[in-house]
Amino acid sequence: MNCPELLRTQAFLDGELTGDAAREAERHIAGCDECRAFSANIAELSDAMRANMTSHRAPQALHNRIGALLDKEPAIADFIPRWRRREFWTGALSGIGASALAAAVTVSVLLPPSAETLAQSVADAHTNALMSGKIIQVASSSHHTVKPWFAGKVEVSPPVADFAQQGFPLIGGRVDKVAGSRAAVVVYNHGRHEIDLFVWPDKGARLPGESTRHGYHAIFWKNGDLNFAAVCDMEGAELHKFVNLVRTEQD
Amino acid sequence: MDDRRRRFEAQALPHLDAAYNLARWLCRSPADAEDIVQDAMLRAFRAFDGFHGGDAKPWLLAIVRNCWRNAGADRKRRAQIALPQDEDGRLVSADPDPEAVAMEASQSRKLDEVIALLPNEFREVLVLREMEDMSYREIAEITGAPIGTVMSRLARARTMLREKWTARELV
Repeated sequence: MNCPELLRTQAFLDGELTGDAAREAERHIAGCDECRAFSANIAELSDAMRANMTSHRAPQALHNRIGALLDKEPAIADFIPRWRRREFWTGALSGIGASALAAAVTVSVLLPPSAETLAQSVADAHTNALMSGKIIQVASSSHHTVKPWFAGKVEVSPPVADFAQQGFPLIGGRVDKVAGSRAAVVVYNHGRHEIDLFVWPDKGARLPGESTRHGYHAIFWKNGDLNFAAVCDMEGAELHKFVNLVRTEQD
Repeated sequence: MDDRRRRFEAQALPHLDAAYNLARWLCRSPADAEDIVQDAMLRAFRAFDGFHGGDAKPWLLAIVRNCWRNAGADRKRRAQIALPQDEDGRLVSADPDPEAVAMEASQSRKLDEVIALLPNEFREVLVLREMEDMSYREIAEITGAPIGTVMSRLARARTMLREKWTARELV
């Protein structure tokens, strides 16, 4: 393999190129011995593989087993985490010793929540706060009031700044939960939208980056030993603008 | 049957054969492949709410591959605890030499055997490209490798396959 265009030739043969790129590759192959030979090789191999390689089909027994397994999965409406079902505790308490149970609980608490759980959790917390009308527990546009309010209520001391000049005035704060962890929530306003900025300690969870749940957008990031999530029903671009302001302030 | 189950049956289950085929080409035995596919389908079902439309096939194949990798890691850990040993305490391999097995097998299965002898990372790109018709981007998603790596692995796999095949025909 010496021709520097070999990978492009291959991409052309695999149908990955279109338009000008495809025409260019075709012209090159016509004039390059190595790429012509490589093309003939690929075509022959590809035909042979498609014709002769064994394509395994899932056995009927496997179909049936999977069907039976799915039947046992709880429907979405009654999807309750296993540890919250009574059978789990009954089984756990009768079957194993209390120390083993404690160990099991510790393990499940130490495991960081999945990105999926986090995305759902911040969206739920935001909508619950909006619906209950308790989005703010301390109302103030001054970071001198909001920041000290969190002391003693949450493990973290979140960065609090007012972005009124840029169109995102600080309106207050509250304490909430993200996937079981206590989080400080700094609340901002933008037009008629409320933005929640969740701040909670980083314990190694993988963050989703960006997520959308039922029309609520969330952007996640880490800074130092803190996790951040900005949640709002605004379109993505506006929320990104807000996140950029916060992050610039952090750097 | 609830809505999620219905959507799963319509979008994911039609790719069960593809899932099993990939698992068979990755695993040493049909029994292992069945275990992995069963595990993968269950995980896929539980994670189905996170699947936002599009083609479920690459999404499902990525889960199969992950399950296979996790199972491989498990086996390796177990292997470190108890490797089979002979009477003098020397380590012995439980599996017969795959090359020897392949040489003895019938000529009609030649292509399968040659492909089975390729290292995993080359075998999987060939299977995904030629049997499952996955695009470079989809192969990159499934294997977690950058597209450039997918392209060079595919070229390398084809060259290796060609060489081994030619060698076998001369035997």
